[in-house]
Amino acid sequence: QAQLSPSSAGDQKVILLPCRSAPSLERVQLWLEARKQYEHLQRGR
Amino acid sequence: MTTLTRQDLNFGQVVADILCEFLEVAIHLILYVREVYPSGIFQKRKKYNVPVQMSCHPELNQYIHDTLHCVKPLIEKNDAEKVVVVIMDKEHHPVERFVFEISQPPLLSIRHPRPTPIRIPSDTLLSHVEQLLRAVILKISVCDAVLENNPPGCTFTVLVHTREAATRNMEKVQVIKDFPWIVADEQEVHMQEPRLIPLKTMTSDIVKMQLYVEERAQKAS
Repeated sequence: QAQLSPSSAGDQKVILLPCRSAPSLERVQLWLEARKQYEHLQRGR
Repeated sequence: MTTLTRQDLNFGQVVADILCEFLEVAIHLILYVREVYPSGIFQKRKKYNVPVQMSCHPELNQYIHDTLHCVKPLIEKNDAEKVVVVIMDKEHHPVERFVFEISQPPLLSIRHPRPTPIRIPSDTLLSHVEQLLRAVILKISVCDAVLENNPPGCTFTVLVHTREAATRNMEKVQVIKDFPWIVADEQEVHMQEPRLIPLKTMTSDIVKMQLYVEERAQKAS
């Protein structure tokens, strides 16, 4: 993959995408599970 | 007749604000409808006077926000030809592409009976744009009816079709946000025998947009 070139003076069509990835499904699922547990604990108080 | 340029009105900025706000809602809704993330992270909200599903996962929300923040300077300068939400399978091969094809008129011509200060965009114009964007949102919310189910474990990314010279508009934002972008390689872009599903076309005085989905013929890996 080519990095964006700041000095590039060309005007060709390019397709860009972010280097960073979106949060993974596993990560989001863990967060959701933790939130459910937290809400459950809050209700139990 | 008064002819107003994009520059006179800071026109591009207004359009970019409207479009980025819309794209944010659209991306959340696509992720919900296409079940990229569990439905439990989404909450019902009202946007454009219709119910939509928006994520409440802080990291995901920030990711979408940062992505669009980087895209905004391109839209502002009318340099973003397409913004594409790509859903990829576990092997990072695209299975679906939601393509937002954007075009803006370079000049805005308004007829006035006498020379008066012109306020653009007017409330009527904005209300019309909102009405059109609402129709696009409604189409996204029911698009699962015309699409095949995606394989489990999908993820997503956002692609921007632009011109090499325009990328300098993004550079400052990339640095500030610590959100660098790269040129996409073949794997991110190529899809075998895609099926094209047009969803909606909208035409207003300030922006034209076409939304279609490209769906991979064989979705199972």
